[in-house]
Amino acid sequence: MNFKKLIFVLALFAGGAAQAQVAVIVNPKSAAAAMTAEQVASIFLGKTATLPSGATAVAVDQSESAAIRDQFYTKVTGKQAAQVKAAWSRLVFSGKGTPPKELASSTEVKKFVAGNPDAIGYIEKSAVDGSVKAVLTVD
Amino acid sequence: MKLSPRLLPLLIAGALSGTAQADDASMFSLSGFATLGLVKTDNDNAHYVIAGQARGATKDASGEVDSKLGVQLGAKFNPMFSATLQLLSKQNGDGNFTPGIEWAFVKAQFMPSLAARVGRMGAPFFAVSDFRDVGFANTTLRPPQDVYGQVAVSHFDGADLTWQSGTSLGALTAQLFAGKSSDTFDRTDLDLKKLLGFNATLEMDNGLSLRIGHVVGKLTVKSASLNGLVTTLRTTPFASVGDQLDPNDRKASFSGLGLTWDQGDWVLNTEYTQRRTNTYVPDTDGWYVTAGRRFGSWTPYATVSQVRTVASNVNNTIQPLTAGLTQLKAVVDGTVASQHLAQKTLAVGARWDFARNFALKAQLERMRLNGDGNFAQIRPGFTNSTVNVLSVSVDTVF
Repeated sequence: MNFKKLIFVLALFAGGAAQAQVAVIVNPKSAAAAMTAEQVASIFLGKTATLPSGATAVAVDQSESAAIRDQFYTKVTGKQAAQVKAAWSRLVFSGKGTPPKELASSTEVKKFVAGNPDAIGYIEKSAVDGSVKAVLTVD
Repeated sequence: MKLSPRLLPLLIAGALSGTAQADDASMFSLSGFATLGLVKTDNDNAHYVIAGQARGATKDASGEVDSKLGVQLGAKFNPMFSATLQLLSKQNGDGNFTPGIEWAFVKAQFMPSLAARVGRMGAPFFAVSDFRDVGFANTTLRPPQDVYGQVAVSHFDGADLTWQSGTSLGALTAQLFAGKSSDTFDRTDLDLKKLLGFNATLEMDNGLSLRIGHVVGKLTVKSASLNGLVTTLRTTPFASVGDQLDPNDRKASFSGLGLTWDQGDWVLNTEYTQRRTNTYVPDTDGWYVTAGRRFGSWTPYATVSQVRTVASNVNNTIQPLTAGLTQLKAVVDGTVASQHLAQKTLAVGARWDFARNFALKAQLERMRLNGDGNFAQIRPGFTNSTVNVLSVSVDTVF
């Protein structure tokens, strides 16, 4: 707990760096131009498996230790890590779904989304480039 | 186990149809859940159990009520076909922890909105039927036993069809299922055959979710002593009493309404259920309301619940004309009384998510019984007791 507090205090001093904007990204070929936080949350919480276009979404997650993951779930789904884990265990242990595949870094997420027309992921806004399309940005 | 020979060809067929993708190691997923729990009561005259278990807690703490280990293997052969196998070890109705096949099904996702499953799967009698054994997935230490104790069967062998649709109100999931099930309830085997049911859930965007379910089937309780009593009664002028007690192939139904609200820091769960049978197992109504609030990683909660017998289903019209009939009348009364289920519970507790994938829970319950309630190994003097129960558990998923 103390360690977490220390990180938090350091993060405050570091200013904007820790409060990076989160961009939800899809493949440039995707029909979706913009998505609401509710639409994105539905996919990442396993409530729906489809993109607004009707295609089956291939969602990719960041690793559990990544700071951006907690930011994404807090800001986009309004849920804490433990709540998200509990929500997925309800789906996994009722045979209804498997959580998004975890990739090791924003670079890998970007690469995966750039190479898969139905993919959806999230990275720091500053990391967005022409290989992907941002459909939602949160502070 | 009886299922395996029939399921195996399906699994193989599914595996073969997926050979093109089989070189991908991520085709298989392994996950699991476990609970280590301790329970203690303030009463030595009966054992606190999860309905159906053979033994549990008294003033001596028991680790056998809530502790369990589940392992689940998933396989995705191609975008359409997948299979799930779940093995679960918990104290069963024979009083041991022999792992059982909880689920073994093949699923065909015909389109994003339509799926069918064949095999052994969770029986959706309640709002949290599928993950009632996964402590980590639930806020409370265990599902309220006043309600969940009405039906001890957790899975069935058969098939289901699930249809999902986005409506203007939210995501609607409708399920039809059919099959049969068998289980052991406190060392007595029972069968549920010709099960037919539906289950519908509406998940709204505002965190509210509604559920309605209904299932009918034919219940058989394999009790030699009860069948003996029925046979004896049929030799008397009071054969109709025997007919009412007859536990073979009798109609049974279970219905439930549920509401869950999980938004922001608040969580609210409530269910209302009705059990109906045409045999000596009484008709019961059960309900609960759970409310909890999150304070960071802490979630204190409270549950009020009740189950009551609305009909014993046996009208003991035996006239004590002879010594034998007097004795029979008493045996019938005793049988009916032993099935009477009426208890009220107030529970307060807290969940603490102390580490990623781990939750620690503590729960204190005060149970007021009318009759013997959901307890096992009843001793004289227990009837109509008030029992305090303290439970502590650690839940994990992996």
